[in-house]
Amino acid sequence: MNTSADLVTRVCQGDADAFRLIFERYSRPVISFIYDMVNDRALAEELTQETFVRAFRAIHTMRAETKLSTWLFGIARNVARESLRARARAHNHVDLADKSVMDLSDDKPVPVEGLLSKELNTLVRRSLAMLDEDKRLVFTLKVLHQCSYEEIATITGFSLAKLKTDLHRARAEMRKKISPYAGVGYEV
Amino acid sequence: MKCEVCTELLEEYLDGELAPHDRDHVDAHLLSCIECSESFAALTAEQEFFARYDREIEVPPFLWTRIAAHTNTRKRTWFGGLFAKTAIAGAIAVLLIAIAIGLVYKSSKPKALAPVVATTSSTTPSPDPVRKSVESVAQKRRKKVRPPIIHTPIDQSDVLSSDLSYLDMDEQDTALHIEQSKILLRSIKNVQISDTDEEIDVTYDKALSRRLLNENVVLRRDAEMKAKYPTKTLLADLEPFLIDIANLPDRARPQDVREIKERVQKTEIVAALLDYQDHGINNR
Repeated sequence: MNTSADLVTRVCQGDADAFRLIFERYSRPVISFIYDMVNDRALAEELTQETFVRAFRAIHTMRAETKLSTWLFGIARNVARESLRARARAHNHVDLADKSVMDLSDDKPVPVEGLLSKELNTLVRRSLAMLDEDKRLVFTLKVLHQCSYEEIATITGFSLAKLKTDLHRARAEMRKKISPYAGVGYEV
Repeated sequence: MKCEVCTELLEEYLDGELAPHDRDHVDAHLLSCIECSESFAALTAEQEFFARYDREIEVPPFLWTRIAAHTNTRKRTWFGGLFAKTAIAGAIAVLLIAIAIGLVYKSSKPKALAPVVATTSSTTPSPDPVRKSVESVAQKRRKKVRPPIIHTPIDQSDVLSSDLSYLDMDEQDTALHIEQSKILLRSIKNVQISDTDEEIDVTYDKALSRRLLNENVVLRRDAEMKAKYPTKTLLADLEPFLIDIANLPDRARPQDVREIKERVQKTEIVAALLDYQDHGINNR
């Protein structure tokens, strides 16, 4: 069995194939997570590469009780954050989203059933990009990647209270942006 | 349970994060409260909406190649480190021996030469020219030994760049790689695309580009590690072209090929490769 723990042990013993298996298993969630954070396809590829290179170099420091996916997401989060900070320094602000975000169709919101999957994807991606970094982080990890609160706290270093607050606010903001299209009018 | 309390706990309930005790209370409340159960239904619908989100992002095939180049580099570094350690140990040993010989020779210069001559003369009594020739050989030997002692750093760099050494093999690999890349880019640059073309067969170029891309990643990394920045920069400039060609379908659309062709022309990458080939080792 190639469990994640087995793979980590094998990599530490110098088995290069084991690291490739780790890459094959986790590259998709990692690149998706980074893409959710940076909203740039080419950059997401580059940062995924950086994540796995860092992971390879540090894998011997990984604690036995840590879940591999959580550990990789933690590295990916740091890599993405560094990139966003660098971009913010370069441009004075992070403009992940186009302000014409919601111009998906003519002028009226289309109910979710009427949205083409491509439009739905654009709507979510752009709405996500308009959240601030912390909210985007917890929302992505919880709603799009189904991480537990405990995992999110490990990945982000946030307290349980902060992540719950950020998640609640992120949900509210996302709801506000998608409700005209998705017909989700619930207010918490 | 009051509706306000239930509302506050609803997201955690949906996330499966509530303690069993609270979860039981919410369960019970949702069975009896229509408003709260509608709120929960709306939250669930929202969750389903986000579940339909597809980023349409794939892991590109070249990503592993790039990562492998970095992780293999580590092995090479380890090997390189071992090689370097061995080489340093060897160099130190040679240096110490040379110093010891030098010191012994210097401290007993007349005595040191005498036995050589004496031995020679004792076995075969030789005339002066022979003696001179022996001394001359000894002097030449001394000359050969001295430079590494006195000018070790300078002489070593000369040796490394001019001998057929391990490093030279890397440079030969790079030179061959540059030559093949130049041919590939020239063929793209010179490809004739007519308006009637529906597709262009780039199977061979694509396969070659994939191989060159793998090489390029390794050579670029090596150049960076060895502080050969002009080489590293050139290979970094070359890489996007190789990626683009490697990612073309076997039967590419003319506009895709044209785009690459125009970029090859615009960026003068072929000229840069030629320039690299023309300006010998000093440019690297």
